[in-house]
Amino acid sequence: MAVLSKYLPGAKKAREDHFEKDDPRQYLMHDPIPRGQMNEMVMESMHVTSWKFWMVFGILSVLVAVCFFYAWGYMIAEGLWVAGVMRPAYWGIFLVNTVFWIGISHAGTFISAILRVFKAEFRRPFTRAAELMTTFGLIQAGASIFMHLGRVWLSYWMFPLPNQRELWPNFHSPLMWDLLAITTYVLGSTMYLYLPLIPDLAMARDRSTGWRKTFYRILALGFRGTEGEWRHLHTAMNFFAFAIIPVMFSVHTIVSWDFAMAMRPGWSSSVFGPYFVLGALHSGMGAVAIVLFIMRYTMKHMDYFIRKEHFDALGKLMMMVSFTYAYFIFNDYIIQWYGGNLATDNLLHWLEEGPMSWMFYQMILFNIVIPFAVLWIPKVRQTPWLLAIVGLLINIGMYWERYIIIPVMLTINNMPFTWKLYEPRIEIYLTIGTFALFLLFYMAASRLIPLIPVWEVQEGQMAHTMRKIGKANVSTISDFE
Amino acid sequence: MADITLLALFEDIDPAADAIEKLRHMGVTDDHINVLSGAPIPYKMLGRPHPHTNVSKLSLGGAIAGALFGLFLNFGTPNMYYIPVGGQYITPIPPGLIVLFEMTMLFALLATFLGVFLDSYFPNYRPMEYTPEISDGKIGIFFKCAENEQTKIADALGVLGAETIKPVEAQQL
Repeated sequence: MAVLSKYLPGAKKAREDHFEKDDPRQYLMHDPIPRGQMNEMVMESMHVTSWKFWMVFGILSVLVAVCFFYAWGYMIAEGLWVAGVMRPAYWGIFLVNTVFWIGISHAGTFISAILRVFKAEFRRPFTRAAELMTTFGLIQAGASIFMHLGRVWLSYWMFPLPNQRELWPNFHSPLMWDLLAITTYVLGSTMYLYLPLIPDLAMARDRSTGWRKTFYRILALGFRGTEGEWRHLHTAMNFFAFAIIPVMFSVHTIVSWDFAMAMRPGWSSSVFGPYFVLGALHSGMGAVAIVLFIMRYTMKHMDYFIRKEHFDALGKLMMMVSFTYAYFIFNDYIIQWYGGNLATDNLLHWLEEGPMSWMFYQMILFNIVIPFAVLWIPKVRQTPWLLAIVGLLINIGMYWERYIIIPVMLTINNMPFTWKLYEPRIEIYLTIGTFALFLLFYMAASRLIPLIPVWEVQEGQMAHTMRKIGKANVSTISDFE
Repeated sequence: MADITLLALFEDIDPAADAIEKLRHMGVTDDHINVLSGAPIPYKMLGRPHPHTNVSKLSLGGAIAGALFGLFLNFGTPNMYYIPVGGQYITPIPPGLIVLFEMTMLFALLATFLGVFLDSYFPNYRPMEYTPEISDGKIGIFFKCAENEQTKIADALGVLGAETIKPVEAQQL
């Protein structure tokens, strides 16, 4: 209620609402404040922690201890029989979670890398928040794969090492491609998170004492901001921005091939690669909207950095991705519908009229209908809590989409005598555990890492000026990069 | 006469660029000038020589090493323990391209990351010449000059808008 009250009439206005409609200061890039003040604001947002933060942190810690570590330990000790996976659905929620979290992780790369390559200025204040989602999302995806393995201590069998008989893993298997692609993406995105963080860690080092000083001193690596350091960093970040994009595309395409390479009804499709990538971006964008909303309303001074203009831009991206997603889902559906294959027909009828049809229709409603209907409206895009709700619905819809693709499509196969609905058991606890762990990581990071890339914001503000053309003042950007 | 390291702090780019020009006129070479800033400033704006970097070369080297490793995984390992499976190629090219791509990118990214460390001498925890005002947005020009020229140079930079000009010593960051 405390949060909702902020939107009630008479509540405190956001910073940008104090400016006239045409005042350029409503935009972050045209509302510069001294760098020292910006640093202080970001440091204060890390240091000021209310009891509510610790209460949520405590609840999440308990959830992680019980639903993640205890439940996983129990499953390891007892075996996979405690999970609901069995014939015909040997792939259950663990892989749904894997695909879901890899999807979430795509947001960081999309926002940070693609928008950096195209020099989209609105990206500046929230690239790090998105990059953190990539790293933490991939940790959950990795954990979910290990859960799915069951005998997790044998996971090294997939490493590119020969066994005692000099036999190497089969690199022509889509599961090995998964390992290689996800490893590349985890390492690549973590390095891409760390490189632009170094100058901000140096800033935090200069303003800290005690254990924090030591912590930032170690992580800042002795960065001072010399011309050489900036040049090396800039060259590396440019390379990363270009290189991580095809890696991002490859990861979710390869994940889609885990399914599409099999000749199963619902799975064997040549559009699964781009369809999965678009789906990943769809859920990732929605998750970024939720994170930005939470940051803006729970962390001090964030209304200076994260403004309506950012939600508006994000909303436009979400709308564009939603259109493209609709195109791919229809493309995939119509080809299967027209194909006339009996097993596929059975599957489609079952999706439309069977016991899981509610999931199918919610998927369409949340991923396509609602974004189409509301994101046209500027007021919706510019209202943070509304955009966060749309983002939440998209994520629910995308989770259902993965659920339909994996256990549901495994249920309706070429052998009707095996049809049996998948019923998750311990998977539900472990799913709660992964969500809690993601949030816990994020909350811990918000106290330790500057979530706003201050130097990037300053760089943007230095590059932006107002220029008079004719009778109008227009925003002009100098090329600083 | 011994050399001394001075730090001149500037608020904006223009006076900093003028100060660098002035230092050159007063006999301080580019080798003896180092500019520190809290946000990247293109070298052209400050009229400084283009800083050299090996990062892109290392990226290329990493990509080549990764491609070779990918080739080994794809075409080398199946031949080390030959298992013919009815009608299937031992070393098919289409799936091999996926392994090749992933390994090339992984090694290129790792080499780029390490390149920043190597070129910037990271991590470096020794005492260094620095002031925290740099990360507060000031532009710091560190330069070496003869001790007897200190006053003359400080006066010249002061006229150009330097906020402070002071001798600095290496300190623990």
